[in-house]
Amino acid sequence: MSKQIQDAYIVAAVRTPVARRNGAFRHVRPDDMLAKVLREVVAKVPELDPAEIGDVITGCAMPEAEQGMNVSRIGLLLAGLPDTVPGVTINRFCASGLQAVADAANRIRLGEADVMIAAGTESMSAMPQIMGNKVSLNPEIFSKAENIGIAYGMGLTAEKVAEQWKVSREDQDAFAVESHKRACAAIAAGHFADEISPYAVRSYLPGAGGAVRITERILENDEGPRADAAMERLAKLRPVFAARGSVTAGNSSQMSDGAGAVLLMSEAALKRFNATPIARFRSYAVAGVPPQVMGIGPVEAIPRALKMAGVAQDSVGWIELNEAFAAQALAVTRQLVLDPAKVNPLGGAIALGHPLGATGAIRTATLMAAMQRDRALRFGMISMCIGTGMGAAGVFEQI
Amino acid sequence: MSKFIIRKVAVLGAGVMGAQIAAHCANADVPVILFDLAAKEGDANAVINKALAGLKKLDPAPLAAKDRLQHIEAANYGSDLARLGECDLVIEAIAEKMEWKLDLYAKVAPHLKAGAVFASNTSGLPINALAAGMPVAQRSRFCGIHFFNPPRYMPLVELIATTDSDPVMLDNLETWLTSRLGKGIVRAKDTPNFVANRVGVFSILAVMHHTARLGLTFDEVDLLTGPRIGRPKSATFRTADVVGLDTLAHVVGTMQATLPDDPWHEHFRTPDWLQALIAKGALGQKTRAGIYRKEGRKIMVLDLAHQDYRESGAEMFPDVDDILSLRSPAEKFARLAAHPHPQAQFLWSIFRDVFHYCAVHLGAIADNARDVDLAMRWGFGWAQGPFETWQAAGWADIAAMVKDDIEHGRAMSNAPLPAWVFEREGVHTAEGSFSAAASALKPRSTLGVYQRQLYPDRVLGEAPDDRGETLWENSGLRLWRRPDQDARIGIVSLTSKKHAIGDEVLDGMLEAIGRAESELDGLVLWNDAPFAVGANLQQVGEACRAGQFDMLEQVVAKFQRTSMAIKHSQVPVVAAVQGMALGGGCEFVMHAAHRVLALESYVGLVEAGVGLIPAGGGSKEFALQAHAMAQRAAGGDVFPYIQNAFQTIAMATVAKSGIEAVQMGFGRAGDDILFNAHELLYVAIRRARAMAESGWRSSLPGSAVTVAGRNGIATCELMLVNMAEGGFISAHDYTVAKAAATALCGGEVDTNARVSEQWILDVERAQFVELLKTEKTQKRIQYMLETGKPLRN
Repeated sequence: MSKQIQDAYIVAAVRTPVARRNGAFRHVRPDDMLAKVLREVVAKVPELDPAEIGDVITGCAMPEAEQGMNVSRIGLLLAGLPDTVPGVTINRFCASGLQAVADAANRIRLGEADVMIAAGTESMSAMPQIMGNKVSLNPEIFSKAENIGIAYGMGLTAEKVAEQWKVSREDQDAFAVESHKRACAAIAAGHFADEISPYAVRSYLPGAGGAVRITERILENDEGPRADAAMERLAKLRPVFAARGSVTAGNSSQMSDGAGAVLLMSEAALKRFNATPIARFRSYAVAGVPPQVMGIGPVEAIPRALKMAGVAQDSVGWIELNEAFAAQALAVTRQLVLDPAKVNPLGGAIALGHPLGATGAIRTATLMAAMQRDRALRFGMISMCIGTGMGAAGVFEQI
Repeated sequence: MSKFIIRKVAVLGAGVMGAQIAAHCANADVPVILFDLAAKEGDANAVINKALAGLKKLDPAPLAAKDRLQHIEAANYGSDLARLGECDLVIEAIAEKMEWKLDLYAKVAPHLKAGAVFASNTSGLPINALAAGMPVAQRSRFCGIHFFNPPRYMPLVELIATTDSDPVMLDNLETWLTSRLGKGIVRAKDTPNFVANRVGVFSILAVMHHTARLGLTFDEVDLLTGPRIGRPKSATFRTADVVGLDTLAHVVGTMQATLPDDPWHEHFRTPDWLQALIAKGALGQKTRAGIYRKEGRKIMVLDLAHQDYRESGAEMFPDVDDILSLRSPAEKFARLAAHPHPQAQFLWSIFRDVFHYCAVHLGAIADNARDVDLAMRWGFGWAQGPFETWQAAGWADIAAMVKDDIEHGRAMSNAPLPAWVFEREGVHTAEGSFSAAASALKPRSTLGVYQRQLYPDRVLGEAPDDRGETLWENSGLRLWRRPDQDARIGIVSLTSKKHAIGDEVLDGMLEAIGRAESELDGLVLWNDAPFAVGANLQQVGEACRAGQFDMLEQVVAKFQRTSMAIKHSQVPVVAAVQGMALGGGCEFVMHAAHRVLALESYVGLVEAGVGLIPAGGGSKEFALQAHAMAQRAAGGDVFPYIQNAFQTIAMATVAKSGIEAVQMGFGRAGDDILFNAHELLYVAIRRARAMAESGWRSSLPGSAVTVAGRNGIATCELMLVNMAEGGFISAHDYTVAKAAATALCGGEVDTNARVSEQWILDVERAQFVELLKTEKTQKRIQYMLETGKPLRN
């Protein structure tokens, strides 16, 4: 705390609905999604002069092809922000969006900026292979046993976590069912309406008489949650990452497309632009773990972030713990003795989807909306595991 | 006369047969409109779309490649009848109800294109009665067209004329079915169940009759009536389960209703036990229980004595086993008839009654005896038809035995054998096959399409084929020619067992290519199916045991030289492929200048199954392909093209059709796909001639091939690490697949390094020999030699 000059406040946070991979957003470009949330988040503070935005930091886990070429800069220009506003794309895989929020906050906290935007965008539909458009591994990985974990697929690491932390198939499936149940209830209650900007999806199809037929469909809700998720159905799914494993498509996060954006300001900027803060950014920590058990990463990151913020774990009333896999989410919850009722109260990535680098920004929007609904909710946290063995956690305090 | 062109087909009825017939037309690049009833609510084409989706799941696959489905459009009788006007051939394949068919005919007739052929796939209804449902003006274009299930794989199509059918139309249709769809045509008469089902269903009834009479069990009978007597593995009762017991009962019911004067009529009924199963809903495979039932891994069979299922596992009586192993058919039948064991009596009885039945009915149901025999081969998968079996066993002797049994009341009917049986010494002769109706010998059809079949399916007793002139031969292959076709195109045919490729084949191939280069204009590699099952594992296994790895490396080097000789020969080498072309056989195919592939070609590099990798140039060819394809892609990255090949080789994936073989890279765009394998040699000779005449020249060996190198190998290993850690593959699978990756990526060189074709050959050879030295690969080879199955170790 003593090292910073001023506090950084979250003023607004918005997101697109999250679509299933090759679902409603299969032809939607990630730079367009980004431009959309940038426009929307800026519009939340009517008196803001966009030229005063110090930087747009965008997280993306596979920054290439449609989301390559510094998608952050392209997105902000597409959004119509002044060309004097700079943009940078950062990558810490699944924590990219949260890393963007932390980096943006830090620029304010250091006194280098008064207005910052943090964002995340990811189209997994745009990636022909999950690991990017061109996968090419270093031969050294295979020549040393200690490097082999780098080559582990994420599902395989979840199997390793399930094995080491003894998470049963039944518990994983039950966790997945609960995630869908919470998500469906939240949609029914309209809880996501405050954070989601409905997205108009245009399709260009071959039509009659040589004309291109343009149709438009508005997506208002996340596509992932399934009202019919049930233990019996999940029990029928086969493990996909290990022949005798327990991790299935049903108890893993969904591959998705989506974007989110967060507007941050210093106290001076709040006054200048007549903006109301939602929360103060308190801390952010990342930590490394063996790549083979990457899912356990939050176990290292969460205590560090809490310690830095000087906040007791019990004081945190809302935890967005990314459900990369039920196996790792359960292992983390049990290891840190987190209160399951406070973890993902509106469901998590198993139901809501996980557009990799966008997830941190998206879940920030979810936490901010929760704080606005519940004025008594003081501390909230966002955390996730990260491929190749890391964990990240960020702590937010309602104003 | 104008040409007969079928630009589009309509199939009416999206049932099991209709949808599969549509699929086979689509396989042959004939667009199809598949019709059925409009759904009452929702999507009007729901019924048809469901049938189309089902085509992707059926096994064996009706579609020769997944992308074929796009050539089938769904339509319904409610809104789309006008589209029949687009079709040159309409095949009706709806349920076997006369009223329904006649109703439909009245509805569709006004929409048919002028000159279109309209044909019914009915298996039992009288064709002339169906024709009466068509307007008079259209009757000359109507006939029966009876496919067998599954229509892609069963060659038989019975073509049934009505009294009004236009003979020119029938010839055209026969030509089209034979060459375009690859079918074997039998002209059947308009009698109940036509030819194949008439004889085939009688044969099943005879089996059931004698099973009960002699107190045999079902699994025992299946053991006796399967491959040991030249019939399909599913034999009798398992076939009945597959067909559906209700369907079988229906066909028997048709015979009962429509053949009141048949001397065997009293036997045209379903036995009580079969009716009981049907009543219980145990209809066979489709209800997961019938005569057989699967319980976990066990196969249970119905045991009538105990009225319950028990584990199957019948055994053949040793004497019967010995008799069936005899080479002489005459001796076989004589000893079966004389042996008192029920199994022997059973076998003699079922043959005798089928001989008897066929002799009595030949004149009524078929034009000649050859048609009956071919119908049973093509429609029921019998290795030999009844008449040729009889004739091969000694016509007069068998006739006398059958006569004696009839006279002593041992046969199923006391109808006497027709007089012609005793006036002849057989039914098949060099001049033709006997027609009981015409009392004359009928030669084979002179229809032009059959000129394309240099080696058609022959029944025993026919004139022998022209084996051509041998130019040179050794113990592995024969170089020959057919001067009547093209005296300067050589033909290489393997003479080794299963056409395995051993040292003698390699020597022979090198010699044949040398001779072709100096004396001929082109070369065709042609074998009856299988094309070649791969390297001679026996030789490899023996050399491994003797530790002769230097010698083995030399053999592999020779294999590579042979593949390269095929590829870089100074005359075009055309591979004419049917059946399996695996391992080394596949590598020969890949190196040929051109391929003529039968639709039913099963091509693949299956070396991984025995712990090896393709080293006769197969891995190298994929590396070259990747290089060539990457040249046309932006960025020029070869790895994406390697990745698919890696999976194909590591998983030993076999293409399930000639079309797939090309799609997977074993062939090339522009290769010929023939639906009738009998036309392969005819086409391949002409293809070689055309290449020789049109300036063809051999390509030069690559000197600057871009390879995926070290990063490529590492990226393949990424997949392997995950599969091995996930327990999907063994440590040795990993070793083998990594060797394949190393060969495909051109060795441990820089990514995008440029290497020569020979360099890649050297890499794949080195990897191959290293694998041979491993104990686990040696065990896999040994296991394959002993059991014919791959070992997972």
